[in-house]
Amino acid sequence: MAKVLVVDDEPNIVLSLEFLMQQAGFDVTTALDGESAMALVTENPPDLVLLDISLPGISGFEVLEQLRSQESFKRLPIVMLTAHGREVEREKGLALGADDYITKPFSTRQLVEKVQALLNESSQGLQED
Amino acid sequence: MPARHKLLSLWLLLSGVTFFAGLLCAAWLDSQIQPTGNLRLIIWGVSLASGLLIFLLGFVLEARLMRPLRHLQVQVARMAANPDAQDDYPPEGWLETLQPDLNQLRQGWRQDRALLADARIQGAKDAARIRQELEALLQVLKLPLLLCDQHQRLLLFNPAAEKLFAENPALGLGRRLEELLPAPSLIDALQNLPKDGSPRQLLLPHRNRWFLCDLRRVVASQGEALLMLEDTTERQQSDMRWRKPLSTLLPALRGHAANLATAGELLSNGGTTAELNQRLQLAMQEDSQALSGLISELAQLLEALHLDQGQLTDTWSNDLWQALTPSLSQQEISLTPIGIPLWVRADTPSLLGLLQKVIQLLQQVTNKKDFEAEIQLGNNRVYLDLIWQGQPLHLKQLKEWSELPLANEEISPKLGDILRRHSSDWWSLADLDQNFARLRMPLPAATRVYPPLPTIEARPEFHDFSIADLPPPTNELGQLALNQLELVVFDTETTGLELRKGDKIISIGACRIINGRLLAQEVFDQKVNPGRAIPPASTKIHGLVDADVEKSPPISVVLPRFREFVGNGVLVAHNAAFDLLAVTLEGAEAGIEFTMPVLDTLLLSRGLDENLEGHGLDALAKRFQLTFPPNTRHTALGDARVTAELLLTLLSRLEARGITTLEAALELQNTVMHNKKS
Repeated sequence: MAKVLVVDDEPNIVLSLEFLMQQAGFDVTTALDGESAMALVTENPPDLVLLDISLPGISGFEVLEQLRSQESFKRLPIVMLTAHGREVEREKGLALGADDYITKPFSTRQLVEKVQALLNESSQGLQED
Repeated sequence: MPARHKLLSLWLLLSGVTFFAGLLCAAWLDSQIQPTGNLRLIIWGVSLASGLLIFLLGFVLEARLMRPLRHLQVQVARMAANPDAQDDYPPEGWLETLQPDLNQLRQGWRQDRALLADARIQGAKDAARIRQELEALLQVLKLPLLLCDQHQRLLLFNPAAEKLFAENPALGLGRRLEELLPAPSLIDALQNLPKDGSPRQLLLPHRNRWFLCDLRRVVASQGEALLMLEDTTERQQSDMRWRKPLSTLLPALRGHAANLATAGELLSNGGTTAELNQRLQLAMQEDSQALSGLISELAQLLEALHLDQGQLTDTWSNDLWQALTPSLSQQEISLTPIGIPLWVRADTPSLLGLLQKVIQLLQQVTNKKDFEAEIQLGNNRVYLDLIWQGQPLHLKQLKEWSELPLANEEISPKLGDILRRHSSDWWSLADLDQNFARLRMPLPAATRVYPPLPTIEARPEFHDFSIADLPPPTNELGQLALNQLELVVFDTETTGLELRKGDKIISIGACRIINGRLLAQEVFDQKVNPGRAIPPASTKIHGLVDADVEKSPPISVVLPRFREFVGNGVLVAHNAAFDLLAVTLEGAEAGIEFTMPVLDTLLLSRGLDENLEGHGLDALAKRFQLTFPPNTRHTALGDARVTAELLLTLLSRLEARGITTLEAALELQNTVMHNKKS
């Protein structure tokens, strides 16, 4: 069962996403800030991360940058899931290495489809390696 | 036939007739008397002497009287036109005794002129000081200003107005405002301006743009009006860009929100059937999806609105780098722009401050002195990149920099504020080769594409208050004084002289005389693509070859602009028949008419000095010692300027002969033409 880490400082969203991902058949862990997200990724590496930008402490962009700077997480699928919908923020997220950038509000069906597609691509990539 | 030629013919005829009559007489006497010796010699000598005597007398008269008289005529004409002209022809022959009197006259004439000039300089000193102050003020004023007199003639415009009307040749001193801004509402408003100087506002169309015009009467004046203009096109378009979508988005948002609220309320109240529950859930799902879409649209709209309404202006990237160079050089930091320059929308002063600060910070962090700057076109954005050799910066570092103030003052904005003002952010990334890193700031792109036009040099002539003293414009141009006419002096260069057989214009040059003064900067100078090859024979005259005109616009584009330049002016040319035919033939195809009166300096010169030979432009320029810059003769503008100088020289002499109005000058031209034909 694929592992998905949900990082968001809004407990309601975390609850919904956790429920949604579990329904789609994923093993879900959650974090409410950047530091605990980094700790969780290191302890129990997930197969995909849903990452918000506005987090207490280090921001989602910084978490993304730190993860991409480590060789073991260079290819970890990361989806930015955020209320920051400006074009420049989307560009920044993609430039820092996010695989996708989804703005809130979002369609749950599309989110699940996107997560599944990224996990499929990732597993294919691993098999080719 | 000139009088001199008539006299010459008469003299030769008289000499010939007398000589032959003497010859016949001597032959007859010889046959009748059959004299011998000295008597025969005396008879032949006396008979032939009268013819020879008349012949010799003619020579003496020519050398001692006629030639000196002609030289005196040239000298007097030259003196009248230009008191400082050289004395090439001192009185000679029997007029030699006039030398002291002529010298005295010339000296007195020069002294009077010098005294007059001194008095003028002295009197103008205070006015010049005030004028300089006014000019300095007007030069720096960013607000386009126009001042016109009670007849709506332009007395003043500032460089900002010149920039605003850069593409409009109707901007010129003395020109009618209605030629520049042909809006009936403006003319109407000008005629009915309140006398107390309170302002009126108008929105005026001008070539696909809208100018907001604030106009008011100048109090304590002779009816002059001041116009302040503002180009509001962009503001209006920007309003249209967001007002319309917003007016459709908001009702849609309200509708979906109301649906959601109703469905939520029904569900939370309970008591609904399972089927209704399912339908309500489906409806809520559809409404929330529609809301998501609308919120995204709203977000994009607000972002666009933020960019539109900020302090952002179109800025040419090279201007940014150029502005940074002096302060960076002081710190021995080099910044090399690379790539293609582009337009960006920026709050330039604050962006410059940010770049200066960031480059200093980069220098401290990276220990580098050499940076590159690049502008790249992105999707609706322009990436401003600062590049150095080394590793990219961490976001943590940039987050700290975002919190730094631009300056030490308390009210100074933070670097992050300036980025937000540009709806921007920054991040750092490594180049593909991993040797270089860049700091990227996306900026809003401008819609402009082409490099900025070269800066218009500050022109010395942008006001002439004496225009207000001119008589009112009238249809009865003929009665106007020559020195008060608005004159447009022009010249054309063509592919040849056979205009009716297909020779075409390849260049038009023109300049303007207002109030008896040749305006140095108010010129029309345009090459024309004739759509046919330029024969080498005509190239010898004007020096233009096919390559010189191949990128020039065709006459169908140039002629309407020339007609606009001419406006209500009276046309002037040397040998005007040719140049007028050239523009009239070409104008006939485009429906452009040149029906105004035309003055011809060739005819006027003939009328003034009918006994002198040589009325070509070169001969007259030499006679009146007109000066012109090298290599400008036989260019359209160069010849137009020489013709203008010549006309000014002729005007004073015409005036001395009582020819003071346009009508009188035209009459003189007609007389010359009539005499020539007969």
